[in-house]
Amino acid sequence: MTINEEIMWVEKYRPKTLDDIVDLSHVVESLKAFLKNPHSMPHLLLAGIPGTGKTTVALCIARQLFGEKWKSFTLELNASDERGINTVRDRIKDFSRYGRTGFGEAPFSLIILDESDQMTGPAQTALRRIMETSSRTSRFILICNYSNKIIEPIQSRCAIFRFSKLDKVAMIDHLKKIAKTENLRLLDAAAERIVEYSEGDLRHAINALQTTAAYQKDVIDEQTVLQVFGEASPRQVQMMLNKALSGNFIEARKMMYDLIGQYGFSGSEIVRQIQRELIKIPHLSDSQKAELTDIIGEYDYRMTQGANSDIQLSALLAQFSKFGK
Amino acid sequence: MKTNLLWVEKYRPKKISDVVGNELAKTELINWLQSKRHKKKGVLLYGPAGVGKTALVNAASNQFNFSIIEMNASDTRTEKAINKIGKPATSFIALDTFSSERRGNILFLDEVDGVFGRQDRGGIKAIINIIKESLIPVVMAANDVDQQKLRPLKKVCQMIRFQQIRIPLIITTLRKICVAENIQAEFEALERIAQNSLGDMRSAINDLQSIGEGKQFLKLQDTAFLTVRNKDVGMYDTLKGMFSSETIGDSAMVLNRSNVNYDDFLLSFSDNLPLRYRNPTDLATAYDLVSRADMFRGRVGTDNWHLLRYFFNFLAEAATVSPKSYKSFDLIYPPMRIMKLFWTKGKRTNLENICAKISLRCHVSQNTAKTDMIPYIKMMIKKQKSSSIISWLKLEPNDVDFLLKLNDL
Amino acid sequence: MKVIILNNKEFILPRVERENFIRLMKLGLEYNRDKGTFSINNFDNIKEAIDTISDILNDEVQFLQNCLMCHKDFPCSDCKYTDFCETKNLPFKCVCPQCLTGKKSPQKTLF
Repeated sequence: MTINEEIMWVEKYRPKTLDDIVDLSHVVESLKAFLKNPHSMPHLLLAGIPGTGKTTVALCIARQLFGEKWKSFTLELNASDERGINTVRDRIKDFSRYGRTGFGEAPFSLIILDESDQMTGPAQTALRRIMETSSRTSRFILICNYSNKIIEPIQSRCAIFRFSKLDKVAMIDHLKKIAKTENLRLLDAAAERIVEYSEGDLRHAINALQTTAAYQKDVIDEQTVLQVFGEASPRQVQMMLNKALSGNFIEARKMMYDLIGQYGFSGSEIVRQIQRELIKIPHLSDSQKAELTDIIGEYDYRMTQGANSDIQLSALLAQFSKFGK
Repeated sequence: MKTNLLWVEKYRPKKISDVVGNELAKTELINWLQSKRHKKKGVLLYGPAGVGKTALVNAASNQFNFSIIEMNASDTRTEKAINKIGKPATSFIALDTFSSERRGNILFLDEVDGVFGRQDRGGIKAIINIIKESLIPVVMAANDVDQQKLRPLKKVCQMIRFQQIRIPLIITTLRKICVAENIQAEFEALERIAQNSLGDMRSAINDLQSIGEGKQFLKLQDTAFLTVRNKDVGMYDTLKGMFSSETIGDSAMVLNRSNVNYDDFLLSFSDNLPLRYRNPTDLATAYDLVSRADMFRGRVGTDNWHLLRYFFNFLAEAATVSPKSYKSFDLIYPPMRIMKLFWTKGKRTNLENICAKISLRCHVSQNTAKTDMIPYIKMMIKKQKSSSIISWLKLEPNDVDFLLKLNDL
Repeated sequence: MKVIILNNKEFILPRVERENFIRLMKLGLEYNRDKGTFSINNFDNIKEAIDTISDILNDEVQFLQNCLMCHKDFPCSDCKYTDFCETKNLPFKCVCPQCLTGKKSPQKTLF
């Protein structure tokens, strides 16, 4: 093969059937039951931390239902990208109109709505109405990180599937399979490190693998992995953490605002980054890391209670500053 | 080095074309002044302070050579006083006010919303009468026209709306003044002044003078001394009152009595915590309390107002963590969140476009693209600038440039 | 969802139904029959006019700004300060980002 068009491995190696999916047997078994008899399939709510297979499952369902031409019968939407519930409604309306001309084997079309927990309460109420009026012709697959942010009327209309951190062994396995296909030697220590720093997020793990491969053609070793992880995370987060831990709150807070302003990171995204960076700080003991993780958890929770992320983040940084002293 | 002249006076627009912003209002006012037959005999200019209502009237009078009979809120506005000035105006023969040979007159009543019901006994009624009987144009200005007592006035006037001046226009004006005053100013400094003014040109020019007068160089850090804008007096007093209180009870009372916007206040309050508490333990305690207050604010939403007292209590506690350590300090205002987000919109748009492209190809949301894909893509592009990933993602050359420059922190 | 950016001095719309056309005229637009273009004549109802055009095009509509200094047209999305602009996307005069931060200094004093 002379022309080797590189694409992102997270797409290249995304499972196309439910059976190929890593470590999700409990979810897959239940879904297979529904798919045997599509008419019985309810709306679905897939909930869990990022990089654990939710979108993949949704896309596999689409393939299973509609075969090769699945894209024609599937609408993918992101609640955080669309400008408000009216746009979502319009897109669904347009899509349903088209779909009504025939679905092939399936009795309905599929609407995948990612990040549905980012929608405000009123928007979700409107969504519920949309789900109702389109239920003859469409099924919804809602994807979210926090199921408790989905309003109860929607939850009660869905079959809920929970996705949790992927098993380390399964992740290493998956990485090794990819490495083999790409003609790379993935050393054990490197694989362990990738999995450790990804914290159960397979998307990050695969991206890290691909990036490392770009830097080190045949053998993926731990050293290069560390380099990649060091550079791939925004330096800003590391610096912000270091400032906070050394007691310089005001600087740390300034950097937090830069993250929000320059990158448009949301509060929960920054929190995730902080957690990731925390693991890597060498001069902290395990018990210290544990204590700090507790603090992160507390403020992460508070953020989900509808509070101002920047205030909660500032409070988090303030606790870290005290810790440092 | 003190001058006697305020820059708002020195650089007052002399021609209509010099008046910045509010083009529509300008056109409407000129049309009204020039028309021979007026449907409504009075015209009411309304809008926030410092956006050019008075400046426009003055510039127009200058340019078209008519004189202004002026009254404003500093005069006593009783019926008698108004009639003393205004009545003669109605006995003038209506002249073509724009003729350069004849000086016409207009009656200009500034700040009519300052005319109160009882103290100014029948003030509004008197004005309406003058408008009805006047043979010369009656121009009025007001900040707030939603008050009940102005309703009868609005019926007999043509309303012309003035809006906040756009920031780029303010910055450009400030820059011109700096050139005239021989000040070399950093762009960021002028930008900060403009943003601080919230669209009020007069305040912006005053602020420029207060920190720039007598200086050769004006830097961003000089703007740290900008005083709190007058309209935020409530915020300033409440913050200071709370922080200097000795007990939670006193502090809570300050907040109770104030009529600040709670959301703005919460932001400003938390911004100022590290200035109030130098001790990291105190700071952490205070911030934890503010965080709890914030949570309650979230729960209150639009329905649960009874939870608001928890919001108040937590803030009051946060203000008095260690009363003995209180030392007066300069408050930060406006909130950092607003200032920071102001400055970075352009950068975010570029990033958003790139995320949209990744989003499409990789079945992820734009947010996920930002956090989970971009750092790696950037590294891969850095290593191999001709990587075919770029074409697969449909990235343009300037997208690639942007990514490579990103994260230079 | 697309955003359509129009030049207030001259823009084209697809075939407009009679009802909408009358509405647009009432809201201050003008129509040039020779060129087949619309322009804004009267800005009193500019916000409603924009809403109506948005409905017709079924997309969000914004107008270009005209730069006081270089006289070029540019969209509000280029500007840093749109978050708190009261008149954003309305077709008024402004200063484009290039002229605003540009190295060129004003040629004359203002007043």
